[in-house]
Amino acid sequence: MLLVEDVYAGYGLSEVLLGTSLAVKPGTVVALIGANGAGKTTTMRAISGLIRPARGRVLLDGEPVGGLPASRIARLGLAHAPEGRKVFGTLCVEDNLLLGAYGRLPRFFGFRGRAAADLERVYGLFPRLRERRRQLAGTLSGGEQQMLAIGRALMARPKVMLLDEPSMGLAPVIVQEVFRTIRQLKAEGMTMLLVEQFAKTALEVADYAYVMERGRIAIEGTPAELRRDERLLAAYLG
Amino acid sequence: MPASIVAQMAISGALMGLVYALIAYGFQLTYATSKSINFGQGELVMVSAFFSLTLLDLGLSYWLVLPAGLLFGAALGLVVERAGVRLALEQKSEGWILLTIILGLFFFSAAENIWGRDDRPFPTPIPSDSIHVLGVDVTPLELSVAVGVLAVMGLIELLKRRTLLGKAFEAVSVDRDAGELMGISAKRTVMLSYALSGAVAALAGILVSPITTVGPTMASALVLKAFSVAVVAGLDSGFGVVLVGMFLGALETLASFYVGSGWREAPGLVLLILALAVRPTGVFGKAAIRKV
Amino acid sequence: MWKRLFLVRGAELLLFASLAALPLAVASPYALGLLMLLAIYGILLIGLDVTVGYLGQVNLAQAAFLGLGAYAAAIVVTHTGLGLVGALLVAPTVCFVLGALLALPALRLEGPQFALATLSFTALATTALNELEWLTQGAQGFSLSRPPLLGHALGARAFYWMCVALLAMVWIAMRNLLSSQWGRAFEALRDSPIATDAMGVGTYRHKVAAFAFGSGLGGLAGALYAFNFQYLQPQSFVYELTVILLLGVVLGGRKSLWGAFVGASLVALLPNLLSNRTLFQAFSALGLAVALAAGARGLFRRTMRPFQAIAPVVATSALVVGGLVVENTEDWRKAIFALMLFSVVVGLPEGLMGFATRFLAQLLRIAPPPLPPPSPLDEVLPARLADGAVLLELRDLRRHFGGVKAVDGVSLAVRAGHVHGLIGPNGSGKSTLVNVISGLYTPTSGEALLRGSPLPHGSLVRVARAGVARTFQNLQLFTGLTALENVMVALTGVYRAPLPFVLLGLGRAEDRRARADALALLELVGLREQARTPAKDLTYGAQRFLEMARALARKPEVLILDEPAAGLAHPDVVKQVEVIRRIRERGVTIVLIEHHMDVVTQLCDVVTALDGGKLIAEGSPDEVKRHPKVIEAYLGNVGDAALPAPPAGARIS
Repeated sequence: MLLVEDVYAGYGLSEVLLGTSLAVKPGTVVALIGANGAGKTTTMRAISGLIRPARGRVLLDGEPVGGLPASRIARLGLAHAPEGRKVFGTLCVEDNLLLGAYGRLPRFFGFRGRAAADLERVYGLFPRLRERRRQLAGTLSGGEQQMLAIGRALMARPKVMLLDEPSMGLAPVIVQEVFRTIRQLKAEGMTMLLVEQFAKTALEVADYAYVMERGRIAIEGTPAELRRDERLLAAYLG
Repeated sequence: MPASIVAQMAISGALMGLVYALIAYGFQLTYATSKSINFGQGELVMVSAFFSLTLLDLGLSYWLVLPAGLLFGAALGLVVERAGVRLALEQKSEGWILLTIILGLFFFSAAENIWGRDDRPFPTPIPSDSIHVLGVDVTPLELSVAVGVLAVMGLIELLKRRTLLGKAFEAVSVDRDAGELMGISAKRTVMLSYALSGAVAALAGILVSPITTVGPTMASALVLKAFSVAVVAGLDSGFGVVLVGMFLGALETLASFYVGSGWREAPGLVLLILALAVRPTGVFGKAAIRKV
Repeated sequence: MWKRLFLVRGAELLLFASLAALPLAVASPYALGLLMLLAIYGILLIGLDVTVGYLGQVNLAQAAFLGLGAYAAAIVVTHTGLGLVGALLVAPTVCFVLGALLALPALRLEGPQFALATLSFTALATTALNELEWLTQGAQGFSLSRPPLLGHALGARAFYWMCVALLAMVWIAMRNLLSSQWGRAFEALRDSPIATDAMGVGTYRHKVAAFAFGSGLGGLAGALYAFNFQYLQPQSFVYELTVILLLGVVLGGRKSLWGAFVGASLVALLPNLLSNRTLFQAFSALGLAVALAAGARGLFRRTMRPFQAIAPVVATSALVVGGLVVENTEDWRKAIFALMLFSVVVGLPEGLMGFATRFLAQLLRIAPPPLPPPSPLDEVLPARLADGAVLLELRDLRRHFGGVKAVDGVSLAVRAGHVHGLIGPNGSGKSTLVNVISGLYTPTSGEALLRGSPLPHGSLVRVARAGVARTFQNLQLFTGLTALENVMVALTGVYRAPLPFVLLGLGRAEDRRARADALALLELVGLREQARTPAKDLTYGAQRFLEMARALARKPEVLILDEPAAGLAHPDVVKQVEVIRRIRERGVTIVLIEHHMDVVTQLCDVVTALDGGKLIAEGSPDEVKRHPKVIEAYLGNVGDAALPAPPAGARIS
């Protein structure tokens, strides 16, 4: 579904990714773990088009998307819930969700009706968002904002979803809820690429995992295989 | 001084103030998507007015020139966006302030050399004999300015508040990257806002020209007051600019009468600095809570 | 070390020696006039660079200050007996005061609003100069004669030497100022005003001072301008001049005295360039060649975007074609300025000197001065007494936003030497509580006491000075400064020299001391090796550590760490626990907000749990973890997070 081949990318003169390759099969959850500065977030940004890969290929559902603007890639079916959530703070919850489906809604009239079913689905998944649908997103708590970010990504009915550090800065109880949602989405057949600091928890939901080191994939394997790797256990899983 | 004359002055000042409001609204449009404004907006007003005058001189009807002028303004807005704003926004720098000033300077010089430095009258089919409405004299020309300004601003506000496109404007302004991830092309949204802003500038030029005449410096005073209006009202308050614009227009007519015509510009400038001291986000702007 | 000193100081000496010697070689009064302008604009642009370069704000008022200074000087020598020296003192003072008055409201704003405010000030100043006819003689202009200097009549050449001497003094004073704590503070507040406040430096005060200082230099230049031309008109000081001055600063290169000087020569020579057609054609051809070369290089090395490479070529080509087609280049001078400025701003944003210094530094391999050995930690951060007495006390603290009760009556006591944990779900009020204590928000009611005396309300600076330092959940580093400078900005108890001493260059010894102290703190958090790395190039983990070192530079009694481990991978978390232990060993009391429960358990003596703005539990980490309310609101069902792994999916090769 998603294929990254030998991608080099970075910011300005500093290259962060030095030939990253990974693959996400349809209906699976793939985890990407590694130390700070290893290039996990940069990988996500290079996939979704927020930065342009200097070299290498990115294929979404067989179609090359490397170098396209992020908005085009989003409309081709890739949703990215970015690090730090990045909800639109001055818009209300429901407007945030509607914008999630921007690519397939009419621009002027009747967009609410066309999005009704998807709204219901997201509200079903996160009842808290329904309660707060008229509230400005900036006034939500961190946990609610994370749910909104995931819900907003779901509104696009994506082929692949990228989740960047969905647990960052969240209370344990909320982290559990986030992971429950990820499991539920997985059960529904959603394809996901997940970057996560809580490597242990990430390996529990993932079908396959990659470990990054200094801009490259250092180790890969199924969670069961990775758990057997002593070195990895010591370095990342604590 | 009879009250009726004071009222008369205040009202014609306020009607003029709507032009400031319209130009200020042009700032708000681009600020809404990109937190940037065109410091050369006055030059767009002036160049569009000259362009429209040239079309009129060629014998085209006013009602054909009006849309042509708006299109021309929109095209100039796009030029400003491409040459002055886009790169700076992509680099998240404030280089656009300098670049839009520079482009304004260029347009000014070009206009001076193409159309000359003299002020020229701008013909209009709308009569300028005053009529008596509710105890004060106004001209249909002044009223046409008011109607044009309010109609266009109302229409655009409706677009911004009620349509998904309008929400996308806001989204791009809050977080450009996040907007991109939703499939909203930040580039096109900003382009659209600059085109709209250019058209609004052209409208201001065409509406105000019959009153002020057309010349290279016609907009420099106007735009300075529009700056004041935009900052005093807040760069995110669509209807605030209307109120502040009318208030300022009335205030300066009275000031120029009571203090001296040379001080005509002063109230706006003083008001601006005072407003900044009291409420930096503008009288009608949203007060932001500092978050860390 | 010596090589650097020799080259840099030698070049400056050479510049001023040749400026002083030139009139001896060139007799033409015309050339002397140009040199005079060069010196005057030099002072003016150095002043403008303070706001444009160091504060990073577009300042459109410098032309107005030139005018105001000129008129002030003219009025002083015409209507009072103060003479030349008096005028040279009054004009900068007037502009300093007016600058401060403008800056007080205007510098509460950033970016476009600030530019608009200064633009309006320029318009207002022109109006005033035009309309106050009894004082300025309005549009007809003001004539004056150049007064004698202490009894000696000044010929053109003597007056020029005076200008050069003043330029040299301004140059030296400015260099001393910018390399001191003041200069670092200017750069810091551009990157993060909030952190500058929280480090006790006082963002607003520094900004206003910087702007007023730059305006004062504008006034000084104005006085010289008045004595040079001996005839003033309000319309000389309008918007157009402002734009040309900006051209000078940007083209020369921001944040550089040399840049200001190069810019000044350009501004002084520009009119001549335009009046001579052949010269103009040659110059524009040169510009095109440079643009082509730089663009090709930039595209080839991928350091430029296509637009950045192509646009200057288009603009300079327009200049070349224009130079061939247009009869009278004077008519088009604004367009010509515009095209030149456009090419520079787009293609060479760091300006000529920015480019040249980078190039020369590479060519001559000038090594940065070596760092001193770090001071002993006991001197920098003397161990405090960890006696367990109540140090920080909150009494029924509340903060409401509209109807939202973010902090709703919290009372707690933090004891000296403890690590006091603060946990709670998102939105429980932890961050708001920290923001109230540290002075970002004013409490709605209640009190925070440090050693029994109330902490100031709603002022980051004053709380920081009272002895409470903090880090930020979303990093607030001074990204443009190096790691060492980040710490030096915050360092307290070292900088004692008053401003005049600093201007005279008497602050260097304490600056050296500050460097050694800051290095000791970097060593404490394990960043000594990265002391010279710009903060923005540090890894995320290192940036978290730098925030701690910077807060420690305040030598605080209480250190508040706001989610220091957020987003850190496991190895960095382990390191961080170690660093926090080391800090605690110095006797610094720590308030720790954290979601990593294992970090909290390992470090904290006492943990307070909040929910909905209220305290729900307090005690030792183990007690709090077992508290039913904490489990319900915060920890959740621990078993749930540790579900057995689902069967592994299809392996992807």
